[in-house]
Amino acid sequence: MNPMIHSIQTNCPAVRFRFSLKDDPYLLGNLVFASVILMILLYSLVFSPDRNDYPVVCIHEKITGMPCPSCGLSHSLSLILRGRIDEAYTWNENGMKVFIFFVSQLLLRIFFSRYYLNYPDSRKQLIITDISGSSLLFLITFMPFIIHIFKWL
Amino acid sequence: MEEVNKNSGQTLGVAALITAIITFVIAVIPCIGLVAIIPGIIAIVLASVGLSQANRADSPRGVAIAGLVIAIVASIMSLSQYMVIGKFADKFPDQIEEIVRDVQKNVVEEIEDASVSIKVENGDEVVEINVDQNKNDKVKTLEELEEGLNEPDDTLNTN
Repeated sequence: MNPMIHSIQTNCPAVRFRFSLKDDPYLLGNLVFASVILMILLYSLVFSPDRNDYPVVCIHEKITGMPCPSCGLSHSLSLILRGRIDEAYTWNENGMKVFIFFVSQLLLRIFFSRYYLNYPDSRKQLIITDISGSSLLFLITFMPFIIHIFKWL
Repeated sequence: MEEVNKNSGQTLGVAALITAIITFVIAVIPCIGLVAIIPGIIAIVLASVGLSQANRADSPRGVAIAGLVIAIVASIMSLSQYMVIGKFADKFPDQIEEIVRDVQKNVVEEIEDASVSIKVENGDEVVEINVDQNKNDKVKTLEELEEGLNEPDDTLNTN
């Protein structure tokens, strides 16, 4: 019979995170979301707004010929990462809000994961706070896009 | 072995929940919202399988149910993007006519102000007409000349 590790007592956060990851959906979710956000930021950094070489095109504009509220978002995020804030606003006025959302979510994933590991007694409250806070942040950030959908339905 | 059975369906439920949340974010962005239907369906399938496994093993189902609900809502959002595009397409023909009319008007106005050069060659005979920015003056002069020209009617009467 193989021995199973049910808990591990160590002060090293990296080791605790690695062992908790296998059984804990919350930590696994945080890791995946942080990776996805990092990939989005990397995408914005790799593709240049000056060369206009973005592989993702607006399907909405391709079909209807009319721009949508999220058009120019990739340009806007790339320009913000390059420090060209004024230009970013001209490409998409929601770009800064979306950028703040992604960066804040990345930081929150790290902070909440550390808190989750360090304070096991308050995990339930932490998850509730995370879900409600992140949902609210998401609604505030993406409200113009949601309004666009409901306006045309 | 008992531990494995207790977590049956949990992994699929987590995968479904993560996929569903990412799908939801994609679905609300109008540019790429249409493609969210694909991960949406994947998330629904994952959640359903996870839920059935959890039911059989009598293990916790919360994560799988959350994944299923979010995946369904995200898929509905993605489908609504199709409807939005359909509505746009219905409304668009009137707008496109307006745009074409505006473009035509602008082109005509620009041509009126442009300089035009016409060269007609007939054997050795060459006639060249140049009209520059003062085109209106020349048109006026031409009209004045035409008014002053009272040529007699030289049409032959065949009756």
